[in-house]
Amino acid sequence: MRWFDLFRWALAALGQQKLRTSLTTLGVVFGAFVLAASLSINEGVQETIQREASKGDAARKVTVHPAWRANRDSKKDQVEVKGRMSAERHERIRKALADRRGGGGLAERVDLTSDRLETLARLPHVRRLIPIVGGPVVATLGHRPEDASLSSGAGEDPEFRKRVVAGRAFEAEDERSVLLSEMFAYRIGLVDDADIAQVIGKPLRIEFWNPEEGPSFEVSLAGRSRGGGRDEWLALRQLAWQLPGMLDQFRLTADESSILKKAIRQPSAAAVPIDAADDYQVVGIFRELTHEENKDAWSRFPADTDLILPRQTAVDLYFRDPARRKGGVHRAVLLIDDMRNVKEVVDRVEALDLRSESIVRFVERERLTYLLIFGGMTCVAAVALLVSALGIANTMLMSVLQRRREIGIMKAVGAADWQLQALFLVEGGLIGLIGGVSGLLLAWTISFPGDAWVRSMIRRDMQIDLSGSIFAFPARIGVIVLFFTIGVTVVAALYPARRASKVDPVTALRHD
Amino acid sequence: MGSDRDEDDEVAIRAVELRKVYGARDARVEALRGVSIEVKNGERLALLGKSGSGKSTLLNLLGGLDRPSSGRLRVGGRDLDRLSGREMARFRSTTVGMIFQSFNLIPSRSATENVELPMIFAGRSPRDRRAVAREALESVGLGERMEHRPDQLSGGESQRVAVARALANRPRVLLADEPTGNLDSQTARQVMALILDHVREHAATLVLVTHDEELAATCTDRVVRLVDGRIAAEST
Repeated sequence: MRWFDLFRWALAALGQQKLRTSLTTLGVVFGAFVLAASLSINEGVQETIQREASKGDAARKVTVHPAWRANRDSKKDQVEVKGRMSAERHERIRKALADRRGGGGLAERVDLTSDRLETLARLPHVRRLIPIVGGPVVATLGHRPEDASLSSGAGEDPEFRKRVVAGRAFEAEDERSVLLSEMFAYRIGLVDDADIAQVIGKPLRIEFWNPEEGPSFEVSLAGRSRGGGRDEWLALRQLAWQLPGMLDQFRLTADESSILKKAIRQPSAAAVPIDAADDYQVVGIFRELTHEENKDAWSRFPADTDLILPRQTAVDLYFRDPARRKGGVHRAVLLIDDMRNVKEVVDRVEALDLRSESIVRFVERERLTYLLIFGGMTCVAAVALLVSALGIANTMLMSVLQRRREIGIMKAVGAADWQLQALFLVEGGLIGLIGGVSGLLLAWTISFPGDAWVRSMIRRDMQIDLSGSIFAFPARIGVIVLFFTIGVTVVAALYPARRASKVDPVTALRHD
Repeated sequence: MGSDRDEDDEVAIRAVELRKVYGARDARVEALRGVSIEVKNGERLALLGKSGSGKSTLLNLLGGLDRPSSGRLRVGGRDLDRLSGREMARFRSTTVGMIFQSFNLIPSRSATENVELPMIFAGRSPRDRRAVAREALESVGLGERMEHRPDQLSGGESQRVAVARALANRPRVLLADEPTGNLDSQTARQVMALILDHVREHAATLVLVTHDEELAATCTDRVVRLVDGRIAAEST
């Protein structure tokens, strides 16, 4: 028997019982629909995450931060536990004390110093290293000093260039220029358009604060100040510097006085209130992010800041202070050659005891969420297919009983057992094929309104405009769905097919 | 082998001590109790007997639809007791042609498709078998009703389709089980004439199961009477 005849006869047999075939196939259609939708959403969501994450090279970026690591020289066993107690409680308290001292003598900080930056820049797959410095500064335009926040870089980013509303963006990483934010300019009194035009080309003095140096106590005192401004802050700093010498005049016990003296570090000779300062030319004004730009999930960089210096210029100013040079930069961004290599670079960075952040980690976490959804939907599809398989087995068994005479005739004129089995298996397979194709088409059709609905929800709830569909239908989804539906229906047809092949022609053809 | 071939040139059917038992213990029924029979090539044999005498059982064994409980059976040069399931199916589609009282056509299929059926299972090409089916239907006078389904045909026409199906593969042995049992006398004569024409034309062997003594006498060379699963009498 030829394959062509097998399919033709199987199709014709299904066509004889249109209603029954349709009802049987509906179960497969539902199973195939859920399976196709599940696979499509899983695929589409992953693509969407990657697509959104890839915007502006975010997916290829690894941000490296300084980190703490256990001090290899120190021994946690040296922690002393006082008092008499059980061994279990002793161990618990010893561990807790050791952990609490982790930030002190038992752990050491791994900073992003020049040497480490060079090491990072030489890592395989790292195309570029961007050191990020910044923080609070005093910006003086003319004779008026103002508190401001400073960031470095971002001048070359096309998205950022769109935000430059006056003057120009940076042309080189080491030019001695500065960009002001529109709101900072407004805050320091550059209100009129004419003021903005005039400020371009003017020098701006930038002075780094150094709150870590000097008495640590002053930070707390300064922190309690409300609206006193820079003068009050400076006065409080003076008070803090003098405090250690005056501790004996307070009503404190000798121990308290001693503890406080240890706590308040003496100002060193290098610790001057302002230690890194220089003049830069204002070359442009940049605006805040618009509401629409904020909606774009991954384009929030650079963070809101008052001033931006070119990257190398900012690093030069920052490292002018020996203490900062020793402490390294706040963070560094590594630009990787390919998103697939990000994981390897992250592993290498962490092997250097540095902390890293990358969108790949985020994507992996999101994938887990969608894998759970995918798993749930696949279970539903599996149950639907199982139920439809039972339905098919039942229907085909009935069909075998109803067609006993027809089967007997076929046997009488020369049908072999395997040919009859093949005929029924092909019938089952065709139900799977028709159901699978219909389910796929249904899922594909419903994906359009479904996608519009999900996107509107995301737009409403998360203020994010997705650029592509969250449903994806690559060819392999069709192959997988058809493989499952045909497989399940053929398996369901196995027993009926065997029953058909075992029909005794003599009994089947006995006259009524 | 050589002697087998020589024998096959002369003998179409040889049954030796054929027994067929259905059921077991209390429900045991012996349908055939040691039937031995030989039918020469081109011979026309009638099997006569009452209901339950075993004539249809014998015909089913000859047609390869059933296997004997014991005994030896050779039909068209094939030892049926030695054939595998596949070989038996092949035997049914190529060596014998069967005609039944109740026509046994597939109701959802056209006359042509019903005639093509044995050739489909034999794996013949669609073009080839269609040509053969058309020729067979034309030879039984149904050239105008080839695409009609059995429910659109009269009893006589249906039986002629069944005859065309049985003859399409030019079988060496034609087995007919009461082929005219459901037909009026005129149609019965036409159908028998078709069968006998084929037998004469192709020197085929005919085994005809019937109740009709007159039909047996006029259409066959030899009559074998079965009673309770045994051969009771033979006449020529």
